[in-house]
Amino acid sequence: MRDLFKPAAIRIAMRSILRRKTRMLLIGSLVTIGTFLIVFGGTFASSAQSESKKAIVSYFTGDLELYSNRSREIPSPFSFNTPLPVVEDSRKIETWLDSNPDVESFVSIGQNYGLISTVKDGAKIDLPILFYAVDTARYQKTFDNLKVTTGQYFGSEGSPSSQGVLLSEMQKKAYRDKYGVTLEPGQKVTLLSLTGGGSVNAVPSQILGYFEPKHYSNVFNYINFMDMRTYSSLFNFTGIATGSLPATMDDAFAATSDDAIFGLADTAAFDKLDVASLAKEELTGSTQIAIKLKDSGRAEAFLKDVEAQGFQVKSIPWNKASSFFASVADILQAVIYGATFLIFLIVVFILMNTLIINILERTGEIGTLRAIGADKSFVSAIFLWESILLNLFAAVVGISLSLLLIASFGSGGVQLPDIVAQYLVGGGPLNLVISPVPFLTGVGLVLVVSFLATLYPIRVAVDISPLKAMSGV
Amino acid sequence: MSTIIELGDVKKHYMLGTTKVEALRGVSFQITKGEFTAIAGPSGSGKSTILNMVGCIDNPTSGRVIIGGDDVSALSDKRLTKYRRSTISFIFQSFNLIPVLNVYENIELPLLLEKGMNEAERKAHVMQLIEEVGLVDRMKNKPSELSGGQRQRVAIARALVTRPLVVLADEPTANLDSVTGAKILELMEDLNRRQGTTFLFSTHDHTIMDKARRVISIHDGMIAGDNVKSVGEAV
Ligand SMILES: Nc1ncnc2c1ncn2[C@@H]1O[C@H](COP(=O)(O)OP(=O)(O)O)[C@@H](O)[C@H]1O
Ligand SMILES: [Mg+2]
Repeated sequence: MRDLFKPAAIRIAMRSILRRKTRMLLIGSLVTIGTFLIVFGGTFASSAQSESKKAIVSYFTGDLELYSNRSREIPSPFSFNTPLPVVEDSRKIETWLDSNPDVESFVSIGQNYGLISTVKDGAKIDLPILFYAVDTARYQKTFDNLKVTTGQYFGSEGSPSSQGVLLSEMQKKAYRDKYGVTLEPGQKVTLLSLTGGGSVNAVPSQILGYFEPKHYSNVFNYINFMDMRTYSSLFNFTGIATGSLPATMDDAFAATSDDAIFGLADTAAFDKLDVASLAKEELTGSTQIAIKLKDSGRAEAFLKDVEAQGFQVKSIPWNKASSFFASVADILQAVIYGATFLIFLIVVFILMNTLIINILERTGEIGTLRAIGADKSFVSAIFLWESILLNLFAAVVGISLSLLLIASFGSGGVQLPDIVAQYLVGGGPLNLVISPVPFLTGVGLVLVVSFLATLYPIRVAVDISPLKAMSGV
Repeated sequence: MSTIIELGDVKKHYMLGTTKVEALRGVSFQITKGEFTAIAGPSGSGKSTILNMVGCIDNPTSGRVIIGGDDVSALSDKRLTKYRRSTISFIFQSFNLIPVLNVYENIELPLLLEKGMNEAERKAHVMQLIEEVGLVDRMKNKPSELSGGQRQRVAIARALVTRPLVVLADEPTANLDSVTGAKILELMEDLNRRQGTTFLFSTHDHTIMDKARRVISIHDGMIAGDNVKSVGEAV
């Protein structure tokens, strides 16, 4: 590249670009489109990913969830038919979390199902209900995802919490359509639990009201809420802390089935049981604990701390706990990059062809340069500069256009079709977050690719023989 | 007088598909410094092929091409390019100016390909040539704004700017009307007389041939005659 910085080469390159305005405009706009696609697409994709994580962490799962180490399945809002085992030492964990400086907030959740027993036209009717049993104040503080439409959320702040059931508007519609029943806020009902052992427990309760999910309505439309105390009495979780039982009996209790508990009386361990040593504790029956950290980046270190405590739990990060939701952004990103790549391939193909036509048209000129003593490196310098100057300019235009478009969405974000928005960010617009990565990769990629697209045409150019001068310019 | 170009039994074959075209079938001649020589012959006789060999833009199939004492018949592209840059200059039938450069820049270009002259020297030299070819008022014009004759004047100035050992011109008047063509030849002759520049040009036009002091006739790739006119015979 001895001749790269020869002013004569740069001069010829610049003038040649200006001389072939139409064609250069075509090439330039192809590169501009390529840059625009990569930069805007990249910004869109990376925003989708970061916003998706933010939304999932904020409204759905928290940074991570802890669940019983006896569980063979991972927590999922879509698997109600096989409730997870209860986290045995949830009280101990909660105490630890309360004093952990990494934790911003957390909430214990008992994910289960049951029946609401009520009366329709003088006859008893049982309505199935999927629910999260939660510490209601903590849930509100951690996720704040429920907008109460009628009735009330479990008592207002400061006043003693009301107990009962908060149903989704979608559930209300389902009961009406399927069972012809409309439950009113304040209405007394009986809740029935269905346990694995086949026994049924009944507790009196009430309907507190209805909510609409603020985010992820495609998940929370199907989930109803219950306070933890109602849940505990419904599933007989109140009683003795299993943690203070002798180890041999622990497993039997873990089964939470009446038969197993009665079976305990026959064991030798039961005879030696020192009743006074049993800690009196109200069990929660929570199946998972969703935790939000002050700094998501500390998740791994935090998990090590959890492990060191020896709790009877496993952990699962936000992206696994949210089922397939976290992969929606990944898929979107793959689609955007795939489409961009395809369009870019076409752009490169057209670019190369146009450059080759450009060079073939200038065969006589190139031959003349060679005939009057220009080295091959001088010829390649001319075409390299043409490519560099044009592509840089086009890339700058492409970036500016992307910036303009991103700015035009502004703080309002991109309005996506609701179905897409629900899965991507739990609904609402997608905020575009300008980050340097898509810009740098965009510009880098465009320059590298357009440079590569120039290499072959330049080889064609330098191989043009000075003999070609004879056919004229 | 010293020999600056020597061709010894130069042969050139082209393959057209499977047919062998014998463009040159053993050509030998010598050119001494200061000559003003025409290579004459009908179309297809091999004139351009000869000039291309001398001009270092093509290699012979066999034979010797000696320029300024060096055999260039088997040199690499890089070495040949160096000869074209510093030792030999070309004037083309269709002028071959660089379209995006103006008159001044076209003439200056060969100097920019080689380090050597400083800027002031270069400028003075280019300006002097522009005056010689009578284009001072056209200095800033692009080739597309010039007539054919003016373009060929620019090409002549560009050929002379490196002070080459020999200037080769392949039918330099073929794309010009006869009056303009005659003027171009007069300019070349004038430069040859005053500056001693060696010219070797091809033509199939008899009025042009008549201006040469020596005419090498080519027929079917072989020399058919070599006539040196006595002083005063040429116009
Ligand atoms: N590149 C080539 N390939 C094949 N044949 C060629 C080529 N260049 C010249 N020739 C042939 O060589 C012969 C001499 O050509 P040329 O030197 O151009 O003649 P002139 O310049 O006298 O018209 C012609 O028969 C021509 O067809
Ligand atoms: Mg010819």
